[in-house]
Amino acid sequence: MAETTKMELVTPGRVLVSKSVEMVVIPGSEGFFGVLPRHSALLANLQRGVVEVYEGGKVIDRLMIDGGIADVTPDSVTILTERAEDLNKSNTQEIGERAKAASEAEADFLKDVEAAL
Amino acid sequence: MPNLKDLKTRINSVTSTQKITSAMKMVAAAKLRRAQEAAESGRPYATRMQAVIASLAANADKSSASELLVGRAAVKTHLLVIISADKGLCGGFNGSVARLAKHEMNRLETEGKSVQIYFVGRKAADALGSAISDRTFARVEGVQGTNLGFESASEIASKIITGFEEGQFDAVSVIFNRFVNAITQEVTHTSLIPVHIDAPEDEGSESAIFYDYEPEEAEILSALLPRNMSTQIFSALLESSAAELAARMTAMDNATRNAGDMIDRLTLVYNRTRQANITKELIEIISGAEAL
Repeated sequence: MAETTKMELVTPGRVLVSKSVEMVVIPGSEGFFGVLPRHSALLANLQRGVVEVYEGGKVIDRLMIDGGIADVTPDSVTILTERAEDLNKSNTQEIGERAKAASEAEADFLKDVEAAL
Repeated sequence: MPNLKDLKTRINSVTSTQKITSAMKMVAAAKLRRAQEAAESGRPYATRMQAVIASLAANADKSSASELLVGRAAVKTHLLVIISADKGLCGGFNGSVARLAKHEMNRLETEGKSVQIYFVGRKAADALGSAISDRTFARVEGVQGTNLGFESASEIASKIITGFEEGQFDAVSVIFNRFVNAITQEVTHTSLIPVHIDAPEDEGSESAIFYDYEPEEAEILSALLPRNMSTQIFSALLESSAAELAARMTAMDNATRNAGDMIDRLTLVYNRTRQANITKELIEIISGAEAL
């Protein structure tokens, strides 16, 4: 079993992800960066994009986030974001329907989610 | 001697009041479960945000730090954000917020500061009366309840930040009911500008980590502070909604019980009166027959 780091993805409404991962790639405002266990402590602004969680060298989870901040310590990664969508659990149709009912900012985000699916 | 018909009407009216209060209690109890879950699942985000801010604040240079973080040196005007319910019938919920608000207003004014108020929810504004209408910065209603979303909190926050940057006020704090459990609510007064930071834990533990920043520290702070404001307001709104429902549930439970007591008392009087009437009629008949 490879070394892991504790990853959490938290939105104002709930804790979306909380598990140990081997690597996670995060869309920083200055560009994507990968976080492995024992990464140096880092605070980074994030932009809208896809967070990719790796296990066994493959992507197992993809999550769309709408900006936010990442708090990286040697043994944990915490991503705080206002909106997030698990791309493995959503489908185009459902997102399309929610986008119609949502407010402007939310709909804009959901459109990008749809594109990333 | 109370009239039988009046008593009957009275009993009927109290019975229907009891039906209403008991229905309200059930509705509040059902909604409370969801609101409580929402309040509890909202806490991780708020506490983590606080932790990040605290670690940033600990490393930040105080003199050059953003005014949103450390506040202004001279506070002339203080903005109180008062979160109350839109509806009544929830016991001392709105009253206790209004009382603390009034107390804080007086305190700030004796310190020579002027006070502006941002009302979220209708009832506190009603309770404080027209005396404060000249100090109202803004009012917003209908953000609580089922349609409570992060976006309404963001709107409130951005309005506050705009006002702060325009210099309409120099410090901001929020007064709301914190949900403790189903029977306890705690009126809380927390500072938003300057940012309230819990006393740091022992040095040498986590706070001693030396962070890298990407981009610059100041840039992160300027992106983070408005977001923190929305987060704190959102969590206050969530807490307040849960507390409101809990307060309503307790109040309606008491009302239902009181109505039950009253029905018992009235029924007793009703039955006594009925018997007294029968006895009186019997005496009249008997004494009439004896007189013959």
